[in-house]
Amino acid sequence: MAATQEVARFLSDHSLVEATLKIVVVFAVLSGLVAYLVYLERKVLAFMQARLGPMRVGPWGILQPIADGLKLLLKEDLVPAGADRTVFLLAPVISVVAAFSVFAAIPYGPGGWTITNPNVGILLILGLSSLGIYGIILGGWSSNSHYPLIGSFRSAAQLVSYEVAAGLAIVSVLLIANSLSLVAIVQRQQQMGAWNVFLNPVAFVIYLIAGVAETNRNPFDLPEAESELTGGFHTEYSGFRFALYFMAEYTNMVLIASLAVVLFLGGWLRPFESVRWLSLLKYAPAAALVGAAVFVLWLGLKSRVRAERIFFAALAMGCVLLAAVVAMPAVLEAIQGVFWFTVKVMAILYAFIWYRATFPRYRFDQLMTVGWQRLIPLALSSLIVTAIMLVWTGQRLAPLLVANVLGGALTVLILSARQDSGRFRTIEGATR
Amino acid sequence: MRERLRELFLVDLLRGLRLTFSYQRPSATYTEQYPLERPPVAERYRGAPRLNNHPSTGETLCIACNPCALAYTENLIVVGWERTSDRKKMLTTFTYDLSRCMFCGLCEDACPVDALELTQDFEVARYSREGLIWDRSMLEEGPEPTRYTR
Amino acid sequence: MAEATFLDSNELLVNMGPQHPATHGVLRVKLRLDGERVLGSECVIGYLHRGVEKIAENRTYAQFAPYTDRMDYVAAVTNGMGYCEAVEKLLGVELPPRAQWTRMILAELQRIASHLLWLGTHALDLGAMTPVFYTFREREEILNIFESYCGARLTTHAFRIGGLQYDLYDEFETDVRKFCDYFPGKIDEYEQLLTTNRIWMERTQGVGVLSAEDAIALGVTGPVLRGSGMHWDIRKAQPYEAYDKVEFDVPTGEHGDTYDRYLVRIQEMRQSVRIIRQCLERLEPGPIFGKVGKIIKPPAGIEVYHSIEGPKGELGYFVVSDGTVNPYRVRIRPPSFLNLQALDKMVRGHLVADVVAIIGTIDIVLGEVDR
Repeated sequence: MAATQEVARFLSDHSLVEATLKIVVVFAVLSGLVAYLVYLERKVLAFMQARLGPMRVGPWGILQPIADGLKLLLKEDLVPAGADRTVFLLAPVISVVAAFSVFAAIPYGPGGWTITNPNVGILLILGLSSLGIYGIILGGWSSNSHYPLIGSFRSAAQLVSYEVAAGLAIVSVLLIANSLSLVAIVQRQQQMGAWNVFLNPVAFVIYLIAGVAETNRNPFDLPEAESELTGGFHTEYSGFRFALYFMAEYTNMVLIASLAVVLFLGGWLRPFESVRWLSLLKYAPAAALVGAAVFVLWLGLKSRVRAERIFFAALAMGCVLLAAVVAMPAVLEAIQGVFWFTVKVMAILYAFIWYRATFPRYRFDQLMTVGWQRLIPLALSSLIVTAIMLVWTGQRLAPLLVANVLGGALTVLILSARQDSGRFRTIEGATR
Repeated sequence: MRERLRELFLVDLLRGLRLTFSYQRPSATYTEQYPLERPPVAERYRGAPRLNNHPSTGETLCIACNPCALAYTENLIVVGWERTSDRKKMLTTFTYDLSRCMFCGLCEDACPVDALELTQDFEVARYSREGLIWDRSMLEEGPEPTRYTR
Repeated sequence: MAEATFLDSNELLVNMGPQHPATHGVLRVKLRLDGERVLGSECVIGYLHRGVEKIAENRTYAQFAPYTDRMDYVAAVTNGMGYCEAVEKLLGVELPPRAQWTRMILAELQRIASHLLWLGTHALDLGAMTPVFYTFREREEILNIFESYCGARLTTHAFRIGGLQYDLYDEFETDVRKFCDYFPGKIDEYEQLLTTNRIWMERTQGVGVLSAEDAIALGVTGPVLRGSGMHWDIRKAQPYEAYDKVEFDVPTGEHGDTYDRYLVRIQEMRQSVRIIRQCLERLEPGPIFGKVGKIIKPPAGIEVYHSIEGPKGELGYFVVSDGTVNPYRVRIRPPSFLNLQALDKMVRGHLVADVVAIIGTIDIVLGEVDR
């Protein structure tokens, strides 16, 4: 009896049960999100390219991620001849573990919506996410093949360079917040009444660009450049291990987006919290669900297949019911923070996909030039400007914003002054 | 200076982003969901061959004259005939090897009557090489149209 | 290679292709790399060799025409046109005007289609994955016109020796006019995505520079030569069909780099639209076949070289007759094969990523290189 009490006390003291539960939930939600992020990416890319994307598995291809996952699980797990077997098998695991473990320190909402809130949260996250690079380097190296090797070289160099720029951008946020804890950073933004993106837009842009580079996404997707390296570091991987790399990559995308939201976009804060008449935005979760219901209904009406129409109608009904539940004041209050967090993360993920649909890829030396000769000086200047303004005028919105924008523009002009003009060429025909 | 400013504010990149964004409108979708939607096939399309019968009498239009077989050297068409009592040629067999055909239309051009024709049917895939060698009845009746259901 | 010691770098031999997404078919390039820098390259070709020239000797003149479609399979109409014209020259046949204008319209449409395919895949090689879908959409419209005209989309067999097999279908003029009206706007869209994009400029400017002297020495023709600043277009220099009766400009570059070749091809598409418009104006009803017998049998001992400006460069046919129904010898001068010779010169000193850009900018089709 005493022993049970002991255990109960131990658990309640260390809130182990709570933490475990949260971890399980976060892991499950994140896995699902990552799977459907792939689906979302394929759909958005397709629409931007005048296509439809996956349409065959389930209505509008909604079961495609599940089919893909099953296929990858059932595929043969191939180890190339001459590969360093242990390292080869272990490398993707490193990547995926590093990617997932970081999410322990992200605050999804106010109060209990975090798994843990270490006072050096940002350092922990940066350190853990940098471990993921070992998975990529080791995977490329152990494959015993040229293309993966080049891919992992590129990856290592790229991550090191862009980590610096991203780190410097983060430091200017830390200066404003005066803390390394992510929760404190968000609370600071609440107190200021302005998100950090308005205090220091230059740092935000730098972080976003560096973030794209760190997740190996277009226009910085050199480590896996399909058309050059036929897949890069994961060329030799197949089946489940390839799926792990894939998951790690998309998890990293979510991580970069979440960090950007926490650091620059006010984390779980609702936009326009201080504006009275915009408090209607509180009902946005319910409105979003109703909007989804209408959209789904429209899809169903367009469909010619009977089963699909029924499915879409049921889905719409579900959305409406959920909206009714969400509209209850208590529920609305509880999910407010996590809703806005998700919306912002989704917006940034959408931007990532949008870039991929639009831009060509940088070459490796150009990537380094952009990193070292553009982003890092810019980040440094933004850091210095922020520091000076904080000492001089204190934490006030207008001076910080103006000084940062001017400083950033000036830096860019100075940096690009050396560039040769006359890049803009046109040619006319010549008749003879 | 204007160029500099455009470069500073990433105008070139934003213009590209605007274009891809605008393409998300549903009307811009070009995809044709093939088995569900049948593509319109041009009247002159050169697809699966057919040996035409006279529409009212049902007798074959082929006069077994053989230029179609000679029009192309790969021997993909073999015409069989026998002489009737009044020395007229009568078509007996007609084989067409689709596995060697490149749908150039030379045999169609060579036909002096309207017997041999390349039709609009484009679904000629078969599970075996033998399935691609079509005999007279197959050519006259045409392949069974594939039906796709969901 | 010397024995490797500590901190001593070795050459890396990387095999690019024949199974590689960016070699546009089954081209194999052996690259010698120092890190990512290319020290030298060697092309290995022949994976798609089908002996087309030898086949020609065992076919009648008319029977060989469909085979020409299968060399440069993304520009089948132009290939067939070159061959038909060569044989017509051998026979001394004059074409009726309607046939000439029709051929020119289709050939220019084919040039646009070929350039569109090039543009899409070239952009895809450089990491921009969207233009390929836009260009293929427009190419589809052109292929639809081909399909309505001659019954096939890719390997068209559109022309016959002495004229056209089919007269134009009824809606041909409206279809082509509609295409000419909206297509320039689509080119603007591609340019919006690429031409002023800083990443695109950085990837292509100064990459794969080929001087005019080198280009001439290597026998390079087509947009690659014009990108180097040479004003050379067979349509102007040795007009065939009725190209001397239409107005158009020959765009030329200055720097001879990948960006200039890109601009040249974009400009060529606009010029092609201009040519098509003029051809449509001149198109009048009339006969579509010249005086050619049912059996083509040129006199013995005549030989003819005829070249046209294909989408990729000078496409030449050398036909020798021995008085039978089969040609004695057909020698084909494929533009891609000769343009590919410039690859080694262009890639030296560049990075691996540039090799992809340079292979793309030469615009090769392996069916034509290997024949």
